[in-house]
Amino acid sequence: MPTSIYEVLELMRKYGRIEKIHKDTYIVEVKADKVKDICSILHWKLGGHFSVTVGSDERLINGYFAIYHVFLLDEQKISIIVHTKANPAIPKIPSITPIIPGANWHEREAHDFFGIVFENHPNLERLILPYDWPEKVYPLRKDVSIEELRFKILKPETVKEKVKPEEEYIVPIGPYHPALHEPEYFELYVEGERIVDAKYKGFHVHRGIEKVAEERLTINQIPFIAERICGICGYTHNVAYCQAVEYAANIDVPLRAKYIRSILLEIERIHSHLLWFGVLFHLLGFDTGFMMTWLVREKIMDLAEILTGNRKNYGMNLVGGVRRDINEGKIKLSLETLDYVEYKLRKILNKMLKLKEIMSRTKEIGLLSREEARKLSVVGPVARASGISTDVRKYHPYAAYGELEFKVPVYDAGDVYSRVLVRYDEIFESISMLKQLLKNIPKGDLMAENVEVPEYRKGLGLTEAPRGENVHLVITGRENKVYRWRPRAPSYNNVPSTLVMLKGENLADAPAIIASIDPCFSCTDHVVVVDVKRGTRRTLRLKEISRGRAR
Amino acid sequence: MSLKLFRRSLWVYHLNSGGCNGCDIEVLNIFTPYHDVERLGIKLVASPRHADVIVFTGPITRETLPKAIRAFFAVPEPKAVVAVGSCACGGGIWYDSYAVIGGIEAFYRIIEKYYKVRPPPTVYVPGCPPKPEAIIYGVAVLRGVLKQKQRKTYFLEKEVPTLTRDFIVNLEKYMKQGGGIRIGKR
Amino acid sequence: MKALRIEIFKEALKTGVVTKKYPFEPIEVPEGFRGKPSIDTEKCIGCGACANVCPPSALSIEVDAKRGVKKIMLFLGRCIFCGRCQDVCPTEAIKLSREFELSSLNSKDLYQVVELKMARCKTCGRYYATIRQILFTARNVPKDQRPLLLLCDECRSKVSAKYISYARW
Repeated sequence: MPTSIYEVLELMRKYGRIEKIHKDTYIVEVKADKVKDICSILHWKLGGHFSVTVGSDERLINGYFAIYHVFLLDEQKISIIVHTKANPAIPKIPSITPIIPGANWHEREAHDFFGIVFENHPNLERLILPYDWPEKVYPLRKDVSIEELRFKILKPETVKEKVKPEEEYIVPIGPYHPALHEPEYFELYVEGERIVDAKYKGFHVHRGIEKVAEERLTINQIPFIAERICGICGYTHNVAYCQAVEYAANIDVPLRAKYIRSILLEIERIHSHLLWFGVLFHLLGFDTGFMMTWLVREKIMDLAEILTGNRKNYGMNLVGGVRRDINEGKIKLSLETLDYVEYKLRKILNKMLKLKEIMSRTKEIGLLSREEARKLSVVGPVARASGISTDVRKYHPYAAYGELEFKVPVYDAGDVYSRVLVRYDEIFESISMLKQLLKNIPKGDLMAENVEVPEYRKGLGLTEAPRGENVHLVITGRENKVYRWRPRAPSYNNVPSTLVMLKGENLADAPAIIASIDPCFSCTDHVVVVDVKRGTRRTLRLKEISRGRAR
Repeated sequence: MSLKLFRRSLWVYHLNSGGCNGCDIEVLNIFTPYHDVERLGIKLVASPRHADVIVFTGPITRETLPKAIRAFFAVPEPKAVVAVGSCACGGGIWYDSYAVIGGIEAFYRIIEKYYKVRPPPTVYVPGCPPKPEAIIYGVAVLRGVLKQKQRKTYFLEKEVPTLTRDFIVNLEKYMKQGGGIRIGKR
Repeated sequence: MKALRIEIFKEALKTGVVTKKYPFEPIEVPEGFRGKPSIDTEKCIGCGACANVCPPSALSIEVDAKRGVKKIMLFLGRCIFCGRCQDVCPTEAIKLSREFELSSLNSKDLYQVVELKMARCKTCGRYYATIRQILFTARNVPKDQRPLLLLCDECRSKVSAKYISYARW
């Protein structure tokens, strides 16, 4: 079993030409018939895990469609991208879903946007585009522009035809506390109180960000649209994109800017985990916990406002550095706030997690074994609660994380309670990391000197969001624009695992299970319940379901 | 205006039509202890049939358009709308994308064209995301309790110097004499 | 188990009342807060750098050829309060204040419009730039080349080409 970087690269060389794009990242160009073998070796034999599949229309550069499969190897601390080309007339590539089930959604998305056909895929259906999208129109190809799509190809009349009140539509938009949910819904097939099967229909939030970024925005405007991809973990997307462009263009970011970015990343992690605790407590019916955690969270939001100027959407990054500085007074204020937050959390959150009601409703529920987790390639706290130790901050260090000391919490049980404990430990690790960063911040510049981005270079940016790893692949273009940008949020890999976790459970536990993966486009409160025996279909609110019998 | 019919408390229905969730979390934040809008009589309800006011967030995506229309018509008259955030007010940073209808004004154009319904009284709360206090201020403006501060402004330049060759070559001399043109940094 | 619940209850009581009294009392925002942007009409020269850099195109520039004015429009409804316009303005005309109470009942109240007069080219008669922008650039140009600023881009490049071709002799 090859373990050093040199041996791994020698093994890859047998399949195709290998090249180094930038620090710790290599790209292997293989022919279409060898894709399955090399991906199987990378995922199952060498201990790496599958991350993302990116399709790209490169007919203007070299006349082909291209597919990139990205794999991260934690032990050797490198990333490997597998690159194949497809015929522009009828693009066909063998699918890797039979070996790695986690690639299911990624290949369906490449099919939706580019028209690439993956042979032997179990169900190559429409995933992301809206229900009334016409056939044979592929939005991300370079020969169709936004103007044509908006005004010539898609007409609002088609939307009107479907809006008849007699048709059966489920209103998936849910409004109760906490109504922070984007519209999407789960279909649960039940027999009595037990869930037999589950289906998921989502992507109501598809806004067409990638096409807007390729056509209208310049390289320095894209960080602002990247922040607004998600309402909770937006700053990680910002940093991942800036890192991808900086690696591709070989720009050296000053150390003080890296420390400031790490400080803001950890502040975001604390507020995201506290928000998640509030949501979980509310779904279990424990409103005191919800109000108390969000009370502590307000102090963190005020701190973010003092440091950056806004509670969310910090707007601090440009390619090459940061825009604002932190002075001595702000550092002192941050340390005081962190002391208060740590004191409060150690007093209340600790006790709340020991209550008998919370433990009985979360232990041994929503089990995800280690083999299933590896097959679906889950990331983040969901993987760490099933016994897989993976953390981008430790194994592929970026920003200032290479200089910090911290632990990665890993638990074995794979149920909802382990995920609670993983996130609880991570809050205190973040607080200790912040104290180290604030005390040791060096002096220096905030922005790199010469920021010039050459054309047609590839870059891969990795960060650890509160929900898992964030991967951005960037191919730079001409005239200050980007040729291809693919942001992948961690929930993309995590949501398919709920369909495995929900089988065989009680209906009353479904909300807690869905919330335990911390979906970024999180669960709606309307769920459709289909009774298999009686053949009836009811729409219920999650609050009603969760008040059922606890085990 | 039909707003006078809302005498005391307002029951609010929250409709997310495909946004990033930032504004939704700020709408939830106003029910937490620091801002506590329930002391002013505002309650969040679960079904659109119980509501008086709809809180819209997010640019309306193509996928959620029929569902948003159906929820909008399920709210009984008289109703009012609060458009929260830059996505709902004007379409946001992706106002020209193929998958986005574009904010509440485009939504009203569709309703007027196909359903012949006049748009209800609306208050716009800009911000990305707006502070919880800004949302409370917006609801207070809707009720008529506070006066609106923001007005449109228009400026047209009146007196301009005539540009002759002599004027532009000896610019500094004329600027010191006339002293009336203040351009740029001091 | 009972002791645990009593402890949680006691902690909740100890926090006390934290509700802010807005909207009955004003609140303070920290320094450096990114609030409403506004254009200072004395300083703006109509160069259009802010409209180039604005990510959601909330700032837009239009040329009205009939009246000879350049119109700069700022739409607060689509603004994302990022502050890039403040970074690139050459005369510090647009700045972000600390106001956040911007709601209005009519979307037309969210606009700010500034109209500046433009100059005609001496040769072809087309409107090409605002008068303020010409005067601002003229201060950094040596005196003998200033008359070239009175021509539009096409006429100016034709004249400069003649100078270059003479200089070759």
